Amino acid sequence: MNNTPRVLNRILIGILGLKLLVIGLLLVTLATVPAAGPWWQQWSAGVWSGMSQLFQHTGVPGREESWLWAVLALLLVGVIAAMIAWVAQQGKGRSGLIVAEDDAGDFPGNVRIGGGVAEQALRAALAERQDLAGAMVATYEIRGEPALKIRLQPRHGVAPHLLAADVSALVEALDAVVGKRTPVLIHISAGARSRFSRAERVR
Amino acid sequence: MNDATDVRPKGSHSAGHGADTASAGPAADSRGTGMRRILDRETRSSRAGVSGIAAVLVVLLCGYGLLEAAVRAIGQPPWLIDPETAAERIVALPQGIPPLLLGVIGAVTAMVGLFFFLNAVLPGRRARHLLSDPRAGVVVDDEVIASALARRARLAANVTPEQVMVVVSQRQVTVSVRPTSGVPVSENAVLASVLEELREMAPAPMPEVRVSVATSGVIGA
Repeated sequence: MNNTPRVLNRILIGILGLKLLVIGLLLVTLATVPAAGPWWQQWSAGVWSGMSQLFQHTGVPGREESWLWAVLALLLVGVIAAMIAWVAQQGKGRSGLIVAEDDAGDFPGNVRIGGGVAEQALRAALAERQDLAGAMVATYEIRGEPALKIRLQPRHGVAPHLLAADVSALVEALDAVVGKRTPVLIHISAGARSRFSRAERVR
Repeated sequence: MNDATDVRPKGSHSAGHGADTASAGPAADSRGTGMRRILDRETRSSRAGVSGIAAVLVVLLCGYGLLEAAVRAIGQPPWLIDPETAAERIVALPQGIPPLLLGVIGAVTAMVGLFFFLNAVLPGRRARHLLSDPRAGVVVDDEVIASALARRARLAANVTPEQVMVVVSQRQVTVSVRPTSGVPVSENAVLASVLEELREMAPAPMPEVRVSVATSGVIGA
């Protein structure tokens, strides 16, 4: 429902996983296969000598330290910033509006209806139900369009299709009030509250 | 004396609906644009948690590298290890460290890598089913379906809640009933009532139903 960048998550996790996997397998090979040792020493010594030559050629005038260290530090800062930006993208997409549009009337301006309207109305309608252990209503913005997510936690043994039909009827009533059909997702979930609460008595 | 004479021989009746209602059909349009995409996303894991772990790991590694690089750039003595010394030790790797320790470090690194890689590659389907509804997209946790089916099976078998166990997976529902000693349980009646409930519910994808009645009964239930 939210705007978590799922493809990006997969790609970045996959890259990290592959790298760690290759490093780990290399270490295991070095530890177990005797013939791998000389090959690794020869290959990595070549790479390292190339790099150390590069460091020697790029010295700061007047000092012996290479300016590549500063570049490396900046690069690492960049990677850290990118990681923080990536984490900040997770679970984004909550918004406070269920309707935000120009009503195309004579007066300039937009019509905005807050998500609290839907939340309060649905909460009040669901509060009397004995078969629910909890209900949450949240508004999201999906590709610029507002959408509503209703999360229900029924008690044990409640038939989900009947509950969904009832809540769907409530949503249609809300449509009539608001005057616009927003996409609605009803998630009937089994949370800890429904798991440990008493079962519904009327059977 | 075996009390279980009333119970039918153990075996499982199975009945299934091959009809796959994964495509919601023309009704999907009336629920607003993008509902198909929302439902697709709701039935799969977002990997937000694993992403967080991966990002923290990379930040920690980069932070340490940054510290050493910065210390080196301003010409101070290194904190833990000089980068050049570290590189020389890596080059000389099978030497300088016990092979067992090296192997264990490698194995742990490879396992962590495999964990991340599989998380990225596998479909990551959540234990949820879709219900059809003209107005809203409906996603139901499998646990909720299981408890609804368990209630129905319990009423059909006339046993207490503890004697019925229902496991719902993507394509299969397993109902196991432990009858009360001396009270027969009709496997067909349980199967019929569970099937009827499933037909009314119409989850997508529609799972197959298996009912098994235990050969031994429960005393005093």
